[in-house]
Amino acid sequence: MPLINFLIYFLTMIGIYSVLAMSLNFQVGFTGLINFGQVAFFCIGAYTSSLLVVKAGAPLIVGFLGGMALSGLFGYIISIPTKSLKADYWAIATLAGGEVIRLVALNEKGLTEGAFGVMSIPQPFDWFFSRDTYPLFYLLLIVACVVTVYFALSLLTNSPFGRNLKAIRDEEDLCLSLGKNTRKLKLEAMVVAGMVAGLAGALFAHYITYISPENFRPIETFLMWAMIIVGGRGNHLGAILGAVVIQLFNISTRFIGGYVPFGSDFMSALRMVIIGVLIVLFLLYRPEGLIKERTKVYDLQGNNMK
Amino acid sequence: MDLPQILANSLVRAAELSLLAIGLTMVYDILKFANFAHTDYAILGAFLVYLFNRTFGLNMFFSVMLAALVTGVVGIGIDKAVFKPLRRMEAKVVTSMICSLGIAIALRNIVRLIWTSGTKTYPLPLMRPLEILGARLTPVQIGIIFTGFISMVAFHLLLHRTKFGKALRAISDNRVLASACAIDSERMIRWMWFLACSYGVVGGTMIAVEHLLYPRLGFDIIIPVFCAAILGGIGNPYGAMLGALTLALAENIVLALDFGYLASLDGLFDFGSIQISTGYKPAISFVMLIAVLLLRPTGILGKK
Amino acid sequence: MKKSMLTIKNLQKDFGSLRALDRVSLEVEDDSIIGLIGPNGSGKTTLFNVVSGFYEKDEGEIYFKGERIDGLTPDRIVRKGLCRTFQVAKAPERLTVLENMMLAAKSQMGENPFSALFRRPRVSSFEKANLERAMELIELLQLADLKNEYAANLSGGQKKLLSLGRVFMLDPDLILLDEPTAGVNPTLTMELMKVIKELQKREHKSFFIIEHSMKVISDICDKVFVLNFGKKLAEGTPEEIQQDEEVLEAYLRGA
Repeated sequence: MPLINFLIYFLTMIGIYSVLAMSLNFQVGFTGLINFGQVAFFCIGAYTSSLLVVKAGAPLIVGFLGGMALSGLFGYIISIPTKSLKADYWAIATLAGGEVIRLVALNEKGLTEGAFGVMSIPQPFDWFFSRDTYPLFYLLLIVACVVTVYFALSLLTNSPFGRNLKAIRDEEDLCLSLGKNTRKLKLEAMVVAGMVAGLAGALFAHYITYISPENFRPIETFLMWAMIIVGGRGNHLGAILGAVVIQLFNISTRFIGGYVPFGSDFMSALRMVIIGVLIVLFLLYRPEGLIKERTKVYDLQGNNMK
Repeated sequence: MDLPQILANSLVRAAELSLLAIGLTMVYDILKFANFAHTDYAILGAFLVYLFNRTFGLNMFFSVMLAALVTGVVGIGIDKAVFKPLRRMEAKVVTSMICSLGIAIALRNIVRLIWTSGTKTYPLPLMRPLEILGARLTPVQIGIIFTGFISMVAFHLLLHRTKFGKALRAISDNRVLASACAIDSERMIRWMWFLACSYGVVGGTMIAVEHLLYPRLGFDIIIPVFCAAILGGIGNPYGAMLGALTLALAENIVLALDFGYLASLDGLFDFGSIQISTGYKPAISFVMLIAVLLLRPTGILGKK
Repeated sequence: MKKSMLTIKNLQKDFGSLRALDRVSLEVEDDSIIGLIGPNGSGKTTLFNVVSGFYEKDEGEIYFKGERIDGLTPDRIVRKGLCRTFQVAKAPERLTVLENMMLAAKSQMGENPFSALFRRPRVSSFEKANLERAMELIELLQLADLKNEYAANLSGGQKKLLSLGRVFMLDPDLILLDEPTAGVNPTLTMELMKVIKELQKREHKSFFIIEHSMKVISDICDKVFVLNFGKKLAEGTPEEIQQDEEVLEAYLRGA
């Protein structure tokens, strides 16, 4: 019985991270925006939703929507400087931005309870299900969200809007020369990505019912990056696969701990070393990731493979 | 506001940051990418210093030299394994930047593997601070300022009085032209990594001695170091020094300011005392970084 | 006397100590095809870059259809009806030839998230209309076989043709072409010249073309400007230019 519960927990977390990975992929893989502060959206979505519900007594749906809205707003704010900033400067700025958000969560005790975190976050529909079946319900909720986000983002990337974003990633000057307001497009992409990641944050908060600034350390951003690099940038399925692979790796090594004479601190560090090395190896030898984006169509005989 | 003390504290912090910022800015200048692993190299080195000095009992000077040597070799090795292939593939610089992120994660956690997550300190004997020109500084802090100063002078001499420095400046200006003048840029790049890592190790050790040493320190200082480098003008080593000083001053001044007093216009209104909590100290460099990037990305000095 | 489409007055652009454009003044009239020639490094592409908004000018004024456009962002200038191609043809790798053409379509719907998600029927009808126009142009440019090919797989010459197709999709008033025939085979070049002349006559578009081939210039240009070391050296009909002493010397010296 406990195994089934663990499996449900595991799948639920994969689902939440899939949404986060798809959001990051939308920025990096489709639009070419190098965001090292992705965790900030996660944090804002989680805190906004929990605080609205716990402190302001708002209904859960308002919490979720509020989390998405505020994350979207943050996406808007951080993309304002993209016009004047080169890619690497913007990346550094987003890294800084992510940490600022965490520090605000840590220091504004009056608002966020600081290091103590927000406790007893209510779960949607918990009155309807028994304690045993609730996790299954939440998993189905997550799956529904993953599927919805997948289809919504696919719709966007297959639309003229998506066409513009893909073109921006590869040739921004060309887009300008075709009359596209690239600044506005990047802004819109960041708002969408922010909202999606904010949703993931709200889903997370209302699942584990307790959040603190410790949940939103920069390592989360790096894990999401590992997911999209391993899974494959520029396609939504790749993001989901990346989330599965990295989370599988993360959680499976927790079990080896029992069979191997290393402490948990050691295992945790080893895990992260492997993640770092994976990122480098993939970028060097398989930059497209596990699920390739389509660009080459001919095989060695010159046959059209598509 | 105790101005002399603020100045003194800032000099110490500036010494630490500038040695780190110089390496970062050099790599950016010559290899054209932001090396997110830079401070993690430095902290690896700082841990090696701790190993040689505290565990093996070697004296401080030799510990630092040895650690700088080892870290330099590590830096060259990683360049050979990762960044050189990327250069040869003519990959976009953002790829190198993202790779450096992966390297940062790996290095940081290798340190954690070897030395555990625990915090290390240098147990220094309780020293009485000396009074200099109205400010109190411990001998360690004075040592840090002194070391920083000597290192920066050495760097200046290296850059302008040696053939090596000349070649380095040539590569920084125009790599293609430099190779036409028979400057082996790959060899120069190796030496550049050595220099950047060594200076980083000295800077990291200074922080470790004055404060604490722990594996995550690399990440905790990457943003102040970036801020210092960009503030002064990325790519410009003198800018790194100036930026470090400016940032250090800003941090100390902002924390010392009583905004309530300022807003009250010298007693006209009463807002009580409003000071920024010290918990936000890291945020100061983050905010300054964002401000500089928005308002003047070329920095104070610009590029050379 | 034709109306002026593009008027450039005393344009100056420096790169550090290098003066790339030295008080250049010229006028491109409505409904005509104007050539721009000069030795390598004479500032032709720089002129295009400044006019199209990619570089900032240091001095001078630029008027398009009577309005001042210097200082505007490139995309705003395009929306006013002035567009350009690049000397080295650019093409987003991940889009197919057809998608590239659709990218450029002048009136599109669905270019923002809201309409992309919630106004799909309208978006579809616009896409259909644009698709027809795109196919027309692709046929004209003899790229029909490659319509589903990813731009990453095209040759340099094919990318140049694609660039041409894209600017035609934009339906602009003035088109700046930067070496449109470089890398394109001679027969196709002749076809292209025919298309350009056709478009100019039928839809009264104006063209400002940087070219190295005097044959192309004399074939289609009504008037030619010559740049040398960032200065306007001469202007006149192709015949006049070909006999101009100074021009010949500039090319010989530059060669």
